[in-house]
Amino acid sequence: MKKIYWILLGILFLITLIIEFVYLRDYDSHWWNSIPAFYALYGLVSTVTIIYAGKIIGKNIVNREIDYYD
Amino acid sequence: MTDLITIPGILLIVGAILLTVTPKKVRPALFLLFPVLSLLFVTSRPEGYTVTAQLLNYDLVLMQVDDLSRIFGIIFSITAFVAGIFAYHMKELGQQVNALLYAGSALGVTFAGDLLTLIIYWEIMAVSSTWLIWARRTRESDGAGMRYLIYHILGGGLLLGGIIWHISTTGSLAVESLTQEYTPANIMMLLGVSVNAAVIPLHTWLADAYPKATITGAVFMSAFTTKSAVYVLLRVFPGWELLTWFGAAMAIYGVIYAVICKDIREILAYHIISQVGFMVCGIGIGTDLALNGATAHAYSHILYKSLLFMSTGAVLYATGTSKMVDLGGLFKKMPWVFGLYMVGALSISGIPLFNGFISKTITISAASSAQNETAVLLLLFASAGTWLSVGLKLPYFTWFDKKSNDIEVKKLPVNMYIAMGIAAFACIFYGLFPNALYVYLPYEAYFNPFSAYYFVEVVQMSILGFVAFWFLKQKLAPEMIIALDVDWFYRKAAPSVYKVFVTGVDNLYDRAENGVLAITRFLVEKFRNPMRWLNPFTDKNNQASSYSPGLEVVLSFILIGFIIFIAAAMFY
Repeated sequence: MKKIYWILLGILFLITLIIEFVYLRDYDSHWWNSIPAFYALYGLVSTVTIIYAGKIIGKNIVNREIDYYD
Repeated sequence: MTDLITIPGILLIVGAILLTVTPKKVRPALFLLFPVLSLLFVTSRPEGYTVTAQLLNYDLVLMQVDDLSRIFGIIFSITAFVAGIFAYHMKELGQQVNALLYAGSALGVTFAGDLLTLIIYWEIMAVSSTWLIWARRTRESDGAGMRYLIYHILGGGLLLGGIIWHISTTGSLAVESLTQEYTPANIMMLLGVSVNAAVIPLHTWLADAYPKATITGAVFMSAFTTKSAVYVLLRVFPGWELLTWFGAAMAIYGVIYAVICKDIREILAYHIISQVGFMVCGIGIGTDLALNGATAHAYSHILYKSLLFMSTGAVLYATGTSKMVDLGGLFKKMPWVFGLYMVGALSISGIPLFNGFISKTITISAASSAQNETAVLLLLFASAGTWLSVGLKLPYFTWFDKKSNDIEVKKLPVNMYIAMGIAAFACIFYGLFPNALYVYLPYEAYFNPFSAYYFVEVVQMSILGFVAFWFLKQKLAPEMIIALDVDWFYRKAAPSVYKVFVTGVDNLYDRAENGVLAITRFLVEKFRNPMRWLNPFTDKNNQASSYSPGLEVVLSFILIGFIIFIAAAMFY
């Protein structure tokens, strides 16, 4: 991917951080609102978990040759 | 009579019958007329409008309009129209008739005011949609269609059994919300509806059949079966707690499998299960906001999912394959399809300014206002998976990854682009103007999706999800595999079931027949000449040793009498 896209993505992420720390500082409806950049962390952890969970389940349990049922 | 014919369900079914006598050239155009008429009648009928009829002692309510049925009626009509345009180039009578029949029966379910009317449409829906699988005419689709049909007959049977039980215990025929009691009748109805809603572990028919259906058939199928079941759940089982957790489990199950799958239409099929999970979860939470969320999400979902199935269908149409290993590097050859696909992908991923965002956030915020933080986190987890598979993995390995692809790309019919364009427009339109949808929502609950909080939530999750994908994408690389699901149990059991119920029964009949024949042969031989029995002491070949026939008869009777006497003495 080109560098410029990464930079744009970084800027967008920075904007969300600014919004979070300026406008949503007092926002408190869940226990996790006090963790800074919680949703970023949660998105990262979720995605990695799903990739590895899928990989492990696929490799060890459910993946078969394409003509398995024939 | 005019009341009767303007019932959307009946209107489309009559339309399907008319198609059979229409010349080939005008058939696709006539097809489009009926969804338009249906939309007209759905929107013009006032709330509380009913059409009733009498069957034996039962008062049937053939049509009943309220806010909930209207919004489903609108989206079903729209999607039948759009899918009709997508299938405009397809001239096959069987598929056209059954597609219209299918759409009609889904609309029939939506407006059915009593349970008997509902079950009739329910069964038509199962049968007509099976045709759309079989029409692919491959060995795989034959098998998948049969499994699909058997599954839905089972589901329909459970629902019918539950309905009969319900009517005989309560005497009520009305389609109305039930209090949360796990009586046998309620459980049977819930299971029957759950089959169509693809609630795990009753979901396998969907992931099995949808990828094997025809290109145009899959577009219809992605809209009607599961969403009409969601409608019935909304209507009959709102607030049933169990659904919250089954919904959340569906949402996650679908995304994990979508990571494993290597067929682009199978990925989308698993994402139907995942997205319906969001709706089922909302129905389980059962607050006004949550039910609105489930309704809105069904509405949005039908739009973006049909767009996704249209664009992947277009890839399949152009290249002849939906296997990810053969795809990749198609961006230069199919840039427009990629763009249209991405509108659907951004919508399903709940990216702001697309229509998934305006409905998914309702459900998630309903879960958080119902103090169900576990459900919130589970649904957000599933959202990350949606973005990963539909937003990133599928387009990356279809349009990029390789520098170029030698695969021959057929030109797409214009009508396909038009249909995808309409759906994409709708996705963006509702994303920009959510109130156009919110005014039709059935329950009183104010919601505004455009808040800084949701923006931060979605954008942060998506950016970091993208980063994770980018560095781990080789883990998701296409392979030539299939993924087993719980359908393994019945597909593997099929030969032994066949042995017991088909070969076994056959053998039993064979043996019985042979036995009967042997007995007959024996009796015929022995009784051909009764005199042989009456004089058993005669050797026919030796006249000298024989008694006279008269004496033999007397001796025989004495012998028999003696035997009877002994037997009687033994038993008494």
